[in-house]
Amino acid sequence: MSIFRKLLTAVRGGATDVGEAIVDSQAIRILEQELRDSKKALNDAKTGLTSIMAEKMGVDRKVKELSAKITEHEGYAMSAMDKGDESLALDVANKIAEFEHDLSIQQGIQEGYESKVVSLKKMIRQTERNIQAMDREVSVVKTTAKVQKANELASAKFSGSNSSLTSATDSLERIKARQQKKEDQASAAMDFAAEDDGDDLQARLKSAGIVNSASSGSSILDRLKKKQGDK
Amino acid sequence: MSNENLQQLIKDLAGKQLADGTQLSIEMFDGENTVACIKVEDREEFPIYMTVDEGQILCITYLFGDDQVDPNKRAALAEDMLIMNVSIPLSAFSKIGDQYIMFGALSPKASIDELVHEIELLSDNVLEAIEAVADYLKEAA
Repeated sequence: MSIFRKLLTAVRGGATDVGEAIVDSQAIRILEQELRDSKKALNDAKTGLTSIMAEKMGVDRKVKELSAKITEHEGYAMSAMDKGDESLALDVANKIAEFEHDLSIQQGIQEGYESKVVSLKKMIRQTERNIQAMDREVSVVKTTAKVQKANELASAKFSGSNSSLTSATDSLERIKARQQKKEDQASAAMDFAAEDDGDDLQARLKSAGIVNSASSGSSILDRLKKKQGDK
Repeated sequence: MSNENLQQLIKDLAGKQLADGTQLSIEMFDGENTVACIKVEDREEFPIYMTVDEGQILCITYLFGDDQVDPNKRAALAEDMLIMNVSIPLSAFSKIGDQYIMFGALSPKASIDELVHEIELLSDNVLEAIEAVADYLKEAA
């Protein structure tokens, strides 16, 4: 099963029953146990890799030794032939054949170890990545469980009841109404301030005799009449 | 759980304002010091819960519970949320237990300004989101 799938199972846990803890703590415990198992398996794999690499080094050494021996004996066979000692040369050649036989066996083992080391290294890398991902995910799941607890506490504090009883749309409406009220208050305050300023200005103009207390309409009419007369 | 990181974030966020001057209030929420509760002025109905671990800073807001969803419109709601997910800036929908949530995640190395920005967007997104899916919710009783 993939890690995501397992996490889904864990998180789904108690979700069917409203009010129950969302994260199935049992499932989380199992996940954590699996994590521990994976980490142990990883350690075992690493130990395994080390011993395989040690064995491979032994084989490497044998291959090297056999190759050196073959070269060495080839030299002997040549010297024997130079001296015209055919039978000695043949004995040496037989020995070389033995060495070559051993060498091919050891080379086979060497190749086997090499491919094993490669695949083991690959597996270790993959396991390490999986463990990291799992660690992260388990931590997030545990966090959300805490957040859920917090939310339940908060909604109990906020409304004296479960959060599911306070409707989201109601809350939104309340927030919008509050915002509207603030805006209304702000614009009312601005209007009021403007009016206030205007009144103040009028009063000051009047008291300075610039605007007379009679309706300014009549003075405008006077002005217009005068304009007409000028034409 | 890196409680010290959370305590530091609470200290850094204390007294911060959003870009428009809206006040933020923040306090440690639980006894274990793992969850902080952030409230945006005038939007106290939708508190933001914040947690920190090695991997991320997580900010979560609860939208509504399953019980508020019109049972005949559940599939449509889920599909719309999935479709909306990509185009919502910095926040995403999810579900914890029977509660629909909206959340944003940041790197633990994020700056305080980035975190404030995240909180502001999350708060805005939550209101937008509820408005967007209101048709799928039951009429308020």
